[in-house]
Parts: sequence; C-alpha cells; structure tokens
Amino acid sequence: MTNLTRRSFIKLSSGVAAVSLTSSFGVPAIAGEAKQKVVVVGGGYGGAVVAKYIRMADPKVQVTLVEKNADYYSCPLSNWVVAGFRDMALQKWNYEGLKKHGVEVVIDEVTAIDPAGKSVATAGGKKLAYDALVVAPGVDFKDFPGYDAEAQKKIVHAWKAGPDTVTLAKQIAAMQDGDTFILVAPADPYRCPPGPYERASLVAHYLKKNKPKSKLLILDAKPKFSKQGLFQEGWTQLYGFGSDNSIIKWVSGAEGGKVVRVDAKEMAVYTDNNGFEEKHVGACINFIPPNTAGKIAIAAGLTNESGWCPVHLNTFESKQHKGIFVVGDSSASGGMPKSGYAANSQAKVVAAAIVARLNGKEPGEPSYVNTCYSMLSPDYGISVAAVWKYDPATPDKVKEISSGVSPSKAPDFIRKQEALYNESWYQSIMADTFS
Amino acid sequence: MQQRKIRMLTAVGGVLAGMMLLGASAAQADATGPMLANTCAGCHGTNGISAGPAMPTIAGMPAKYLKAVMADFASGKRPSTIMGRLAKGYSEAEIALIADEFAKQKWQNAKSGPQSKMATAVNAKLAKEGEKATKGAKCDKCHEDNGVFQDDDTPRVAGQWLDYLRFKVQDLKNPELKVPQAEKMKTGIDKLSAEQLEAVAHFYASQK
Repeated sequence: MTNLTRRSFIKLSSGVAAVSLTSSFGVPAIAGEAKQKVVVVGGGYGGAVVAKYIRMADPKVQVTLVEKNADYYSCPLSNWVVAGFRDMALQKWNYEGLKKHGVEVVIDEVTAIDPAGKSVATAGGKKLAYDALVVAPGVDFKDFPGYDAEAQKKIVHAWKAGPDTVTLAKQIAAMQDGDTFILVAPADPYRCPPGPYERASLVAHYLKKNKPKSKLLILDAKPKFSKQGLFQEGWTQLYGFGSDNSIIKWVSGAEGGKVVRVDAKEMAVYTDNNGFEEKHVGACINFIPPNTAGKIAIAAGLTNESGWCPVHLNTFESKQHKGIFVVGDSSASGGMPKSGYAANSQAKVVAAAIVARLNGKEPGEPSYVNTCYSMLSPDYGISVAAVWKYDPATPDKVKEISSGVSPSKAPDFIRKQEALYNESWYQSIMADTFS
Repeated sequence: MQQRKIRMLTAVGGVLAGMMLLGASAAQADATGPMLANTCAGCHGTNGISAGPAMPTIAGMPAKYLKAVMADFASGKRPSTIMGRLAKGYSEAEIALIADEFAKQKWQNAKSGPQSKMATAVNAKLAKEGEKATKGAKCDKCHEDNGVFQDDDTPRVAGQWLDYLRFKVQDLKNPELKVPQAEKMKTGIDKLSAEQLEAVAHFYASQK
C-alpha cells in the first residue's frame, strides 16, 4: 500500500470529499500530517546523488542519508594518488553540501533492513522508518584463500579509496629499483572495469621514472579486459609493451594468470597453470579480490545467486523487495558498467521514480549515460562513453543507443586533452554529488 | 543585427534526418527534459553549471545554438573527444528537450572549487592583450559586450571556463580538426597568432 492510498484512506475516513484529495498534492502538507520519508543507505556516487536530486525535485520529501564515514574518498582519480602524483586531500569530500539541500545526514552504519516493517536499524541504535528506501552500499569483497585480516595488513586491495590508497602509494614508493610489482585483477563483474589497468599504467609510469629496472606483472582472472586495445596501444607507446624490455606484463586467465591463493608471509600469490600451482613473488602486491554486492544488501535479501541485486531496469527498484531501490555497484544493472558515472545516472532515475511514486504517479521513461576516463600517464587519457534506454522487450538488459571508446592512434594532443577532461569530469561529478 | 540572423554556423538538416533513424522507436515514449538533461550533469555540472575547468558551462545558452552544436557533434562535423559518441545516442526530439532544459537554466560564471588544482588561472596581463586582439580581429562584432552577448548562433564566452576556451581556440587553429565556424569568424581567427588567441581566451574568461 503506497503512502498516497494510505493518506487518502485516512482523509476519506474522516469525511473529506474525495475530489479535494487529488488536488492536495503539490501544496504544503497540512499540520500534523506526516511527511513522506526516504532513507538512503550509503553516500557515494549513487546514494548522495539520489538524496540531492529528490530534494531538488520535491522539497516536501524528507530525505535521510545514513553513511558510515563522515569523510568520503573518491575512487575515481585515486589511482593518481597510488602512483604518487596526486594529493589524497583532493580525493576527500564531505556531506555539508547535501545538508544545504535539506538532506538529513546521519553518520552511522545501517545494520539491518526490515522490508516488511519499512524501517532500518543502525549500529548507533537508531530505527528509521521509510516510505521508500535506497540501498547504495557500493561493493564488498568475497573471502579468498589466504587473504585474511592479517594478510590484508601487508597486501592491500585499495579498491575502496581511503587509508589503503595511501598505504599502497607508500609501498610502491618504498620499492627498490629492480623489484617486481604484482597487480591481481579480479574476474567480472567488479567495480570500475578499466580501473586495474589504469592503475597498472600509472604505476608503470612511476616505475619508468623512478625505478627503471622494476617490472609490473598483471595476473588476471579474465581472458580480456575493458578498453584493452587502447590500453595495449598506449603501453606499447609508453612502456615498451610487447618488447623484451616491457615494464608491463599481462597474463590472462587462460595463460595461467588466474590467482588461486595469496600468501602474505611469503609476499606471494599462486596461480593455476593447467592444474599446477605457480608461485609469483612481488616486493609489492596489490590484490583486488572478487567483488560482491555490499554486505547490507546481501543481509537484507536483496541479492540473488549472482551475488548482485536484481532490479527493474526502468526504475532500479529491487525485484526482491518492493519499495527498495538499489543504486550503483551493488545492482545488477543490465549491462551498464559498475562505474561512478553509471551510478550517478541510475541515481537520477531512482530519484525521479521515487518522487513520482510518492506523488501518486507512475515513473517516467529513464535515460542512462556513462562517461568514464582512464589514464595511461599523467598526459595520456582515454575514455569510453555510452547512452542507454530501457526497452521492455529486453527487461534484463538496457538497450545501448550509442557507445564508443577514444580512437586508436589519436594524436598526442587528443590524449592530453582527455587527461585534462578527466580531471574536469571529476570536479563536475563531485560537485553534482556533494554540492 | 540583420546580418547576425542570416549568419549560419552550419547546415544541420541532413544530420538531424540521420539522427532520427538512430533514435527511439515510435512505440517508446521519450524521457522528460530533466531526465535527459540530468544525465549530462556528471560532466557539465548540476543544471549545466560546470565545476570542471575544461568542461563548458552550458546553462542558459540558447536552445537553438545547443541543438546545432549537438547535431554537429553527432555528424562529426564538429570534432570532439566524447561528445560525438554521446550525441549519437539521442533523437532530434530528445536533443530538443535537452537543449530546452539547459536554455531554461541560469548562467553562472566559472568559479574554481577548493579541490581544483589543475585549473589555469586567468592572467590579467594576458587578458589585457587579449582585449586588444579581440578589437583587432573584430571578435566583438558578434561576441558583443565583451563576450556576454549570446544568440542562436553565438554562445556566451564571457565568464566561461578558461581551460575550455583555451582548448577551443587551440582547436580553431588546428588544421587537422577543421572546426566548423562562421566565415566571418574564420577571417578573424586567421588574423590572430596562437599566442594572441591564448590571450583572447584569458580576456573572455576574465569577463563577468
């Protein structure tokens, strides 16, 4: 039962003429009448945008954002920090801007969701009731042999920006010339498909400048990866890829790149090479574990056997629980990548759908966009962009209307422009998220 | 004024016809203007007010100008990095909705946020030289009021992001790119050196 019908019922039962009810929306709530409440779990590229855009579209709706951390560190551009050419302070954002839009920000952790009772419980002992709930926790990581809490002190993934980003940067800076850096890339699907390869590129840039005898080994669970042609073209141009002197070596899953266990004491990872374990030792290892939906989404029963949250692709409302919307990396987004821009785009669809519902209307047609930049060096950027629609004929896959990556063999000034566009993209999307 | 009306940046008819084929099928309803335009905000900022030094603010620009630019991006007539790929994703009707939505918004001059360390700062001396250059090349015949003026063929350039303007003047001078421009503008650009054009960018960025 939606709030609209519930409210109508209350008014009807107290003798107010039905004709006045239909026009009662859009005017300030009458005294004593409860405001419609939206709770948003998680304040990143998805959640913060839903909160802001609901308030922009309908200031009558009360929005509470519950986020574990008072400071937010952006993953996009954090690979620049890893490679030592960007200050971590530039990755740090806060929730003051959202408060100006009238979003109530609660720094706390949601520990349980009650879809039947329409409320969430927090570690701080709060119970928050909602009319619509948005779950935007980002990703979490699957358990992996040898990668326990102790191992994670020595070998970080830094696949959520924060203290580990800085730890990884320090570990790379502490490498001796001639040491090997190992990057373990996860199987699909995972947050930021080109991310591991951007990170490899930028670490290679650092090694080329500072530790020219060092090598970088990418051990990959996959047979291929995002923007592969462009990455390899750039690696050839910048880092001698394909030659005997290449800084970067990429080993695909089919060629023995699939890591099966981690041994932090030995600073080694083991791959499966045709049934035989092969040991790879690195002075610095960056292990990115297999990704899964955020723990709270799993606990709330929003995931299915895939480990991700199935959603109706026209609204991003959960297929498991009505009234709960899953935004960003945790959702099974029908072919959109797990990227910050896709989360931003989905968030606006969710905000519009929730505002429509709370006003007793059907959600309209959605529109989705992704634009995503990757850096191969500080002066070398590439991009991917796409536009999607919802097509009822293919409810499990969004319909790609256009898409494409940067051209191959583009002149240097184009690569440089895209590098600068990347930083501008970051400024605008962060302002769209937090200001 | 009469001259301005007949000055056409590009011919867009054929392009728009082509785009219609790529667009939504008749059975599918279009998304609303805000729904479509909000997807642009990740790069162009909330309501088209960019926070990124190389991304133009598009808030409050004339709808007809924005439509023509999108059509030129889609056809490839106007060179771009990603805009061509994105512009091809919309029907003519959708582009009209997007353009109308941004035209409704209020322009704001570029303003760097505390996290932006890569923006080129406006150089007052260059801006002065740039002002002189705009007079010499008669930029002010169309970009009136020191670049504040806008109409269907002329974007506002005053208070625009400096890095964006720098990229654009570099592109105009780049023979590889063949940026479409009005004949009169081409004559003006040809008169200016790369250094003068850089100064022109500083001048317009310095205006409010």
